[in-house]
Amino acid sequence: MLPRLRRFARVITRNLQDADDLVQVAVEKALIRAEQWRPGSRMDSWMFGIMKNAWIDEIRARRRRERVHAPEEAGADIGDASAEARDIALSVQAAMARLPDEQRVAIALVLVEGFSYKDAAETLAIPIGTLTSRLARGREALQAILGDSGTAG
Amino acid sequence: MKFSDETLMAYADGELDLVARAEIEAAMAEDPAIARAVERHRAFAARVRSAYGGVLEEPVPERFADLVKGPVAAPVVDLAAKRAERAESRATIGRWRLPQWTALAASLAVGLFVGMLVMRGPSAPYEESAAGLVARGELDDALTQQLAGSVGTGRVRVGISFRDRGGAYCRTFHLEREAPLAGLACRSGEEWKLQLLAAASVHEGELRPAAAMPMAVLHAVDAAIEGEPLDAAAEAAARDAGWLTTPDVTE
Repeated sequence: MLPRLRRFARVITRNLQDADDLVQVAVEKALIRAEQWRPGSRMDSWMFGIMKNAWIDEIRARRRRERVHAPEEAGADIGDASAEARDIALSVQAAMARLPDEQRVAIALVLVEGFSYKDAAETLAIPIGTLTSRLARGREALQAILGDSGTAG
Repeated sequence: MKFSDETLMAYADGELDLVARAEIEAAMAEDPAIARAVERHRAFAARVRSAYGGVLEEPVPERFADLVKGPVAAPVVDLAAKRAERAESRATIGRWRLPQWTALAASLAVGLFVGMLVMRGPSAPYEESAAGLVARGELDDALTQQLAGSVGTGRVRVGISFRDRGGAYCRTFHLEREAPLAGLACRSGEEWKLQLLAAASVHEGELRPAAAMPMAVLHAVDAAIEGEPLDAAAEAAARDAGWLTTPDVTE
Protein backbone atom coordinates (compact mmCIF):
# COMPACT_ATOMS: atom_id res chain seq x y z
CA MET A 1 0.00 0.00 0.00
CA LEU A 2 2.92 2.39 0.56
CA PRO A 3 3.43 3.11 -3.15
CA ARG A 4 -0.21 4.09 -3.43
CA LEU A 5 0.01 6.29 -0.36
CA ARG A 6 3.04 7.97 -1.86
CA ARG A 7 1.23 8.53 -5.13
CA PHE A 8 -1.81 9.98 -3.40
CA ALA A 9 0.44 12.28 -1.39
CA ARG A 10 2.22 13.35 -4.55
CA VAL A 11 -1.07 14.34 -6.12
CA ILE A 12 -2.41 16.31 -3.20
CA THR A 13 0.76 18.02 -1.91
CA ARG A 14 2.30 19.09 -5.23
CA ASN A 15 5.88 18.37 -4.26
CA LEU A 16 8.05 15.41 -3.50
CA GLN A 17 9.41 16.44 -0.13
CA ASP A 18 6.03 17.37 1.29
CA ALA A 19 4.55 14.21 -0.19
CA ASP A 20 6.84 11.81 1.60
CA ASP A 21 6.65 13.78 4.83
CA LEU A 22 2.90 13.56 4.59
CA VAL A 23 3.04 9.80 4.05
CA GLN A 24 5.18 9.44 7.13
CA VAL A 25 2.88 11.54 9.27
CA ALA A 26 -0.18 9.71 8.00
CA VAL A 27 1.34 6.28 8.59
CA GLU A 28 2.27 7.25 12.12
CA LYS A 29 -1.20 8.58 12.77
CA ALA A 30 -2.74 5.45 11.29
CA LEU A 31 -0.63 3.11 13.37
CA ILE A 32 -1.40 5.05 16.50
CA ARG A 33 -5.10 5.03 15.72
CA ALA A 34 -5.14 1.50 14.38
CA GLU A 35 -7.99 0.55 16.66
CA GLN A 36 -10.24 2.98 14.78
CA TRP A 37 -9.93 1.00 11.59
CA ARG A 38 -12.69 -1.59 11.25
CA PRO A 39 -11.13 -4.85 10.03
CA GLY A 40 -12.56 -5.73 6.67
CA SER A 41 -13.44 -2.18 5.74
CA ARG A 42 -11.45 -0.37 3.09
CA MET A 43 -8.05 0.28 4.52
CA ASP A 44 -6.98 2.45 1.59
CA SER A 45 -9.99 4.70 1.98
CA TRP A 46 -9.31 5.05 5.69
CA MET A 47 -5.66 5.87 5.06
CA PHE A 48 -6.44 8.42 2.35
CA GLY A 49 -8.91 10.11 4.69
CA ILE A 50 -6.20 10.39 7.34
CA MET A 51 -3.80 11.77 4.76
CA LYS A 52 -6.23 14.35 3.47
CA ASN A 53 -6.93 15.59 6.98
CA ALA A 54 -3.24 15.64 7.87
CA TRP A 55 -2.57 17.71 4.74
CA ILE A 56 -5.32 20.19 5.56
CA ASP A 57 -3.86 20.52 9.07
CA GLU A 58 -0.44 21.11 7.57
CA ILE A 59 -1.71 23.76 5.14
CA ARG A 60 -3.43 25.59 7.98
CA ALA A 61 -0.34 25.41 10.13
CA ARG A 62 1.74 26.83 7.30
CA ARG A 63 -0.67 29.65 6.71
CA ARG A 64 -0.44 30.43 10.37
CA ARG A 65 3.32 30.43 10.11
CA GLU A 66 3.09 32.47 6.90
CA ARG A 67 5.40 30.11 5.17
CA VAL A 68 3.31 28.88 2.31
CA HIS A 69 5.52 27.04 -0.15
CA ALA A 70 5.35 27.90 -3.80
CA PRO A 71 4.37 24.95 -5.97
CA GLU A 72 7.45 25.29 -8.13
CA GLU A 73 8.86 21.90 -7.22
CA ALA A 74 5.83 20.09 -8.58
CA GLY A 75 6.69 16.78 -10.17
CA ALA A 76 10.35 17.09 -9.29
CA ASP A 77 10.99 13.38 -9.56
CA ILE A 78 8.93 11.05 -11.64
CA GLY A 79 11.28 8.15 -12.09
CA ASP A 80 12.61 6.82 -15.35
CA ALA A 81 9.86 7.84 -17.70
CA SER A 82 10.93 8.75 -21.19
CA ALA A 83 11.47 12.43 -21.87
CA GLU A 84 8.20 12.75 -23.69
CA ALA A 85 6.19 10.91 -21.05
CA ARG A 86 7.92 13.00 -18.43
CA ASP A 87 6.96 16.21 -20.15
CA ILE A 88 3.34 15.13 -20.31
CA ALA A 89 3.42 14.03 -16.70
CA LEU A 90 5.03 17.30 -15.68
CA SER A 91 2.48 19.35 -17.52
CA VAL A 92 -0.39 17.47 -15.90
CA GLN A 93 1.25 17.73 -12.50
CA ALA A 94 1.96 21.41 -12.97
CA ALA A 95 -1.64 21.98 -14.01
CA MET A 96 -2.88 19.98 -11.04
CA ALA A 97 -0.80 22.14 -8.74
CA ARG A 98 -2.89 25.14 -9.78
CA LEU A 99 -6.19 23.61 -8.71
CA PRO A 100 -7.81 24.30 -5.35
CA ASP A 101 -6.99 21.56 -2.80
CA GLU A 102 -10.55 20.25 -2.67
CA GLN A 103 -10.67 19.67 -6.43
CA ARG A 104 -7.24 18.10 -6.48
CA VAL A 105 -8.18 15.64 -3.76
CA ALA A 106 -11.34 14.64 -5.63
CA ILE A 107 -9.32 14.04 -8.78
CA ALA A 108 -6.68 12.13 -6.82
CA LEU A 109 -9.24 9.68 -5.48
CA VAL A 110 -11.38 9.17 -8.57
CA LEU A 111 -9.05 9.55 -11.52
CA VAL A 112 -5.73 8.50 -10.04
CA GLU A 113 -6.83 5.95 -7.44
CA GLY A 114 -9.86 4.72 -9.34
CA PHE A 115 -12.33 5.10 -6.47
CA SER A 116 -16.04 5.11 -7.24
CA TYR A 117 -17.77 8.45 -6.62
CA LYS A 118 -19.47 6.88 -3.63
CA ASP A 119 -16.25 5.59 -2.06
CA ALA A 120 -14.48 8.87 -2.74
CA ALA A 121 -17.32 10.84 -1.14
CA GLU A 122 -17.24 8.58 1.90
CA THR A 123 -13.49 8.88 2.18
CA LEU A 124 -13.77 12.66 2.21
CA ALA A 125 -16.92 12.65 4.33
CA ILE A 126 -18.78 14.82 1.84
CA PRO A 127 -22.06 14.29 -0.05
CA ILE A 128 -21.72 12.53 -3.38
CA GLY A 129 -23.14 15.58 -5.21
CA THR A 130 -20.39 17.74 -3.75
CA LEU A 131 -17.79 15.21 -4.81
CA THR A 132 -19.21 15.08 -8.33
CA SER A 133 -19.23 18.83 -8.73
CA ARG A 134 -15.69 19.22 -7.38
CA LEU A 135 -14.57 16.53 -9.76
CA ALA A 136 -16.32 18.14 -12.72
CA ARG A 137 -15.00 21.60 -11.92
CA GLY A 138 -11.51 20.27 -11.33
CA ARG A 139 -11.49 18.42 -14.62
CA GLU A 140 -12.77 21.40 -16.50
CA ALA A 141 -10.15 23.65 -14.97
CA LEU A 142 -7.37 21.16 -15.68
CA GLN A 143 -8.39 20.80 -19.29
CA ALA A 144 -8.52 24.55 -19.64
CA ILE A 145 -5.03 24.92 -18.18
CA LEU A 146 -3.70 22.17 -20.42
CA GLY A 147 -5.32 23.78 -23.41
CA ASP A 148 -7.36 20.91 -24.69
CA SER A 149 -10.85 22.17 -24.46
CA GLY A 150 -11.84 19.44 -26.90
CA THR A 151 -14.04 19.31 -29.90
CA ALA A 152 -17.39 18.44 -28.43
CA GLY A 153 -19.91 20.98 -27.40
CA MET B 1 -26.68 18.44 -26.22
CA LYS B 2 -29.13 16.23 -24.45
CA PHE B 3 -26.88 15.36 -21.53
CA SER B 4 -24.92 17.61 -19.23
CA ASP B 5 -21.17 17.37 -19.37
CA GLU B 6 -21.24 16.19 -15.77
CA THR B 7 -23.48 13.29 -16.78
CA LEU B 8 -21.16 12.36 -19.62
CA MET B 9 -18.24 12.53 -17.21
CA ALA B 10 -20.04 10.18 -14.84
CA TYR B 11 -20.75 7.85 -17.74
CA ALA B 12 -17.09 7.86 -18.77
CA ASP B 13 -16.14 7.05 -15.18
CA GLY B 14 -18.51 4.08 -15.14
CA GLU B 15 -20.76 5.64 -12.54
CA LEU B 16 -24.19 5.57 -14.15
CA ASP B 17 -26.82 2.91 -13.70
CA LEU B 18 -27.93 0.54 -16.42
CA VAL B 19 -30.80 2.66 -17.69
CA ALA B 20 -28.82 5.88 -17.90
CA ARG B 21 -25.97 4.02 -19.56
CA ALA B 22 -28.28 2.63 -22.20
CA GLU B 23 -29.67 6.11 -22.91
CA ILE B 24 -26.23 7.57 -23.32
CA GLU B 25 -25.03 4.73 -25.47
CA ALA B 26 -28.03 5.20 -27.76
CA ALA B 27 -27.31 8.93 -27.95
CA MET B 28 -23.63 8.27 -28.66
CA ALA B 29 -24.59 6.05 -31.58
CA GLU B 30 -26.67 8.86 -33.05
CA ASP B 31 -24.61 11.86 -32.21
CA PRO B 32 -20.85 11.72 -32.80
CA ALA B 33 -20.41 14.86 -30.71
CA ILE B 34 -21.65 13.01 -27.63
CA ALA B 35 -19.39 10.08 -28.40
CA ARG B 36 -16.44 12.46 -28.73
CA ALA B 37 -17.25 14.16 -25.44
CA VAL B 38 -17.29 10.81 -23.66
CA GLU B 39 -14.07 9.76 -25.33
CA ARG B 40 -12.48 13.04 -24.29
CA HIS B 41 -13.40 12.41 -20.65
CA ARG B 42 -11.96 8.92 -20.84
CA ALA B 43 -8.75 10.01 -22.50
CA PHE B 44 -8.34 12.80 -20.03
CA ALA B 45 -8.84 10.47 -17.05
CA ALA B 46 -6.22 8.13 -18.50
CA ARG B 47 -3.84 11.01 -19.02
CA VAL B 48 -4.14 12.23 -15.44
CA ARG B 49 -3.77 8.72 -14.10
CA SER B 50 -0.70 7.98 -16.16
CA ALA B 51 0.90 11.25 -15.11
CA TYR B 52 1.25 9.79 -11.62
CA GLY B 53 1.91 6.20 -12.65
CA GLY B 54 5.66 6.62 -12.22
CA VAL B 55 5.29 7.04 -8.47
CA LEU B 56 4.21 3.43 -8.09
CA GLU B 57 7.39 2.24 -9.80
CA GLU B 58 9.70 4.18 -7.55
CA PRO B 59 11.46 2.30 -4.77
CA VAL B 60 9.91 3.08 -1.41
CA PRO B 61 12.37 5.06 0.69
CA GLU B 62 14.02 3.25 3.59
CA ARG B 63 12.45 5.43 6.21
CA PHE B 64 9.02 3.97 5.52
CA ALA B 65 10.18 0.40 5.95
CA ASP B 66 11.32 1.30 9.45
CA LEU B 67 7.94 2.75 10.30
CA VAL B 68 6.15 -0.57 10.11
CA LYS B 69 8.72 -2.93 11.57
CA GLY B 70 7.20 -3.13 15.00
CA PRO B 71 4.65 -1.50 17.27
CA VAL B 72 7.00 1.27 18.24
CA ALA B 73 6.28 4.80 17.16
CA ALA B 74 8.85 5.93 14.65
CA PRO B 75 10.78 9.11 15.28
CA VAL B 76 11.69 11.93 12.90
CA VAL B 77 9.47 13.80 10.61
CA ASP B 78 10.05 17.13 8.98
CA LEU B 79 6.65 18.60 9.53
CA ALA B 80 7.45 20.55 12.64
CA ALA B 81 3.90 21.09 13.75
CA LYS B 82 3.40 17.38 14.31
CA ARG B 83 6.08 16.91 16.91
CA ALA B 84 4.19 17.75 20.05
CA GLU B 85 1.24 15.76 18.91
CA ARG B 86 3.36 12.70 18.29
CA ALA B 87 5.08 12.88 21.64
CA GLU B 88 1.66 12.87 23.18
CA SER B 89 0.47 9.93 21.14
CA ARG B 90 3.47 7.80 22.09
CA ALA B 91 1.94 7.63 25.50
CA THR B 92 -1.05 5.85 24.04
CA ILE B 93 0.83 2.90 22.60
CA GLY B 94 -0.44 0.67 25.36
CA ARG B 95 -3.95 1.12 24.07
CA TRP B 96 -3.18 -0.11 20.57
CA ARG B 97 -5.16 -3.09 19.60
CA LEU B 98 -2.80 -5.53 18.07
CA PRO B 99 -4.96 -7.17 15.40
CA GLN B 100 -5.72 -3.90 13.66
CA TRP B 101 -2.19 -2.73 14.08
CA THR B 102 -0.73 -5.86 12.60
CA ALA B 103 -3.20 -5.87 9.75
CA LEU B 104 -2.34 -2.30 8.98
CA ALA B 105 1.38 -2.79 9.33
CA ALA B 106 1.25 -5.92 7.19
CA SER B 107 -0.61 -4.10 4.45
CA LEU B 108 1.84 -1.26 4.51
CA ALA B 109 4.87 -3.50 4.65
CA VAL B 110 3.92 -5.88 1.89
CA GLY B 111 2.90 -3.06 -0.39
CA LEU B 112 -0.39 -4.52 -1.42
CA PHE B 113 -3.82 -3.70 -0.32
CA VAL B 114 -5.30 -7.09 0.13
CA GLY B 115 -8.92 -7.56 -0.65
CA MET B 116 -9.78 -4.55 -2.72
CA LEU B 117 -7.29 -4.75 -5.53
CA VAL B 118 -5.91 -8.21 -5.42
CA MET B 119 -9.00 -10.29 -5.72
CA ARG B 120 -12.29 -9.34 -7.14
CA GLY B 121 -14.92 -11.12 -9.13
CA PRO B 122 -17.00 -14.23 -8.74
CA SER B 123 -14.12 -16.64 -8.09
CA ALA B 124 -12.45 -14.52 -5.41
CA PRO B 125 -11.96 -16.43 -2.15
CA TYR B 126 -13.49 -13.61 -0.18
CA GLU B 127 -15.70 -10.62 -0.68
CA GLU B 128 -16.70 -7.48 1.09
CA SER B 129 -19.94 -7.57 2.99
CA ALA B 130 -21.57 -5.23 5.46
CA ALA B 131 -19.67 -7.06 8.19
CA GLY B 132 -16.31 -6.68 6.48
CA LEU B 133 -14.42 -9.26 4.45
CA VAL B 134 -15.95 -12.72 4.55
CA ALA B 135 -14.60 -15.97 3.12
CA ARG B 136 -16.18 -17.28 -0.06
CA GLY B 137 -15.72 -20.23 -2.39
CA GLU B 138 -12.76 -22.47 -1.77
CA LEU B 139 -11.66 -20.56 1.30
CA ASP B 140 -15.09 -20.77 2.87
CA ASP B 141 -15.30 -24.49 2.04
CA ALA B 142 -11.89 -25.26 3.48
CA LEU B 143 -12.47 -23.27 6.67
CA THR B 144 -15.78 -25.03 7.17
CA GLN B 145 -14.71 -28.58 6.25
CA GLN B 146 -10.97 -29.05 6.41
CA LEU B 147 -9.31 -30.24 9.60
CA ALA B 148 -6.13 -28.45 10.60
CA GLY B 149 -2.97 -29.99 9.29
CA SER B 150 -4.72 -32.20 6.77
CA VAL B 151 -3.54 -31.92 3.21
CA GLY B 152 -6.54 -31.24 1.06
CA THR B 153 -6.60 -31.11 -2.70
CA GLY B 154 -7.30 -27.40 -2.92
CA ARG B 155 -5.13 -24.35 -2.48
CA VAL B 156 -6.15 -23.71 1.12
CA ARG B 157 -4.40 -25.17 4.15
CA VAL B 158 -5.87 -24.65 7.58
CA GLY B 159 -3.26 -23.99 10.28
CA ILE B 160 -4.67 -23.96 13.79
CA SER B 161 -8.15 -23.64 15.25
CA PHE B 162 -9.00 -21.96 18.52
CA ARG B 163 -11.70 -20.04 20.34
CA ASP B 164 -11.40 -16.33 20.80
CA ARG B 165 -12.29 -14.38 23.93
CA GLY B 166 -15.88 -14.06 22.80
CA GLY B 167 -16.09 -17.85 22.38
CA ALA B 168 -16.20 -17.80 18.57
CA TYR B 169 -14.16 -20.30 16.60
CA CYS B 170 -11.21 -18.91 14.69
CA ARG B 171 -8.85 -20.59 12.25
CA THR B 172 -5.63 -19.58 10.58
CA PHE B 173 -5.10 -20.48 6.97
CA HIS B 174 -2.78 -20.32 4.01
CA LEU B 175 -3.97 -19.65 0.52
CA GLU B 176 -1.69 -20.75 -2.26
CA ARG B 177 -1.56 -18.43 -5.24
CA GLU B 178 1.05 -16.48 -7.18
CA ALA B 179 1.36 -14.19 -4.18
CA PRO B 180 0.50 -16.52 -1.29
CA LEU B 181 -1.62 -15.18 1.52
CA ALA B 182 -2.08 -16.21 5.10
CA GLY B 183 -4.72 -15.03 7.45
CA LEU B 184 -7.03 -15.45 10.36
CA ALA B 185 -10.78 -16.00 10.06
CA CYS B 186 -13.36 -16.18 12.83
CA ARG B 187 -16.83 -17.66 12.66
CA SER B 188 -19.56 -15.06 12.69
CA GLY B 189 -23.04 -16.45 12.19
CA GLU B 190 -22.95 -18.54 9.06
CA GLU B 191 -19.79 -16.99 7.72
CA TRP B 192 -16.07 -16.83 8.26
CA LYS B 193 -15.12 -13.25 8.83
CA LEU B 194 -11.57 -12.42 7.88
CA GLN B 195 -9.74 -10.70 10.69
CA LEU B 196 -6.42 -10.35 8.96
CA LEU B 197 -4.73 -11.11 5.70
CA ALA B 198 -1.02 -10.92 5.13
CA ALA B 199 1.45 -11.92 2.48
CA ALA B 200 2.88 -15.36 3.17
CA SER B 201 6.30 -16.58 2.22
CA VAL B 202 6.86 -19.76 0.27
CA HIS B 203 9.83 -22.04 0.71
CA GLU B 204 10.94 -24.12 -2.23
CA GLY B 205 7.47 -24.50 -3.58
CA GLU B 206 6.12 -25.95 -0.36
CA LEU B 207 4.12 -24.14 2.24
CA ARG B 208 5.41 -24.92 5.68
CA PRO B 209 2.36 -24.16 7.78
CA ALA B 210 3.97 -23.23 11.08
CA ALA B 211 7.14 -21.66 9.81
CA ALA B 212 5.55 -19.74 6.97
CA MET B 213 2.80 -18.14 9.02
CA PRO B 214 3.57 -14.40 8.93
CA MET B 215 4.32 -12.69 12.20
CA ALA B 216 1.31 -10.46 11.71
CA VAL B 217 -0.99 -13.48 11.78
CA LEU B 218 0.75 -14.97 14.80
CA HIS B 219 0.40 -11.68 16.65
CA ALA B 220 -3.28 -11.57 15.77
CA VAL B 221 -3.73 -15.10 17.09
CA ASP B 222 -1.95 -14.18 20.31
CA ALA B 223 -4.20 -11.19 20.74
CA ALA B 224 -7.41 -13.08 20.07
CA ILE B 225 -6.92 -16.54 21.53
CA GLU B 226 -8.56 -17.68 24.74
CA GLY B 227 -6.71 -20.63 26.25
CA GLU B 228 -4.98 -23.09 23.95
CA PRO B 229 -5.59 -24.05 20.32
CA LEU B 230 -8.11 -26.85 19.83
CA ASP B 231 -6.74 -30.38 19.70
CA ALA B 232 -7.74 -32.67 16.86
CA ALA B 233 -10.72 -34.18 18.69
CA ALA B 234 -12.12 -30.81 19.80
CA GLU B 235 -11.64 -29.42 16.32
CA ALA B 236 -13.46 -32.32 14.67
CA ALA B 237 -16.28 -31.98 17.18
CA ALA B 238 -16.57 -28.27 16.51
CA ARG B 239 -16.65 -28.88 12.78
CA ASP B 240 -19.32 -31.55 13.11
CA ALA B 241 -21.40 -29.15 15.17
CA GLY B 242 -21.19 -26.56 12.40
CA TRP B 243 -18.81 -24.28 14.35
CA LEU B 244 -21.74 -23.20 16.48
CA THR B 245 -20.83 -21.38 19.63
CA THR B 246 -22.46 -22.88 22.67
CA PRO B 247 -23.85 -20.12 24.88
CA ASP B 248 -22.58 -21.61 28.14
CA VAL B 249 -19.01 -21.21 26.95
CA THR B 250 -19.30 -17.63 25.79
CA GLU B 251 -20.29 -16.34 29.18
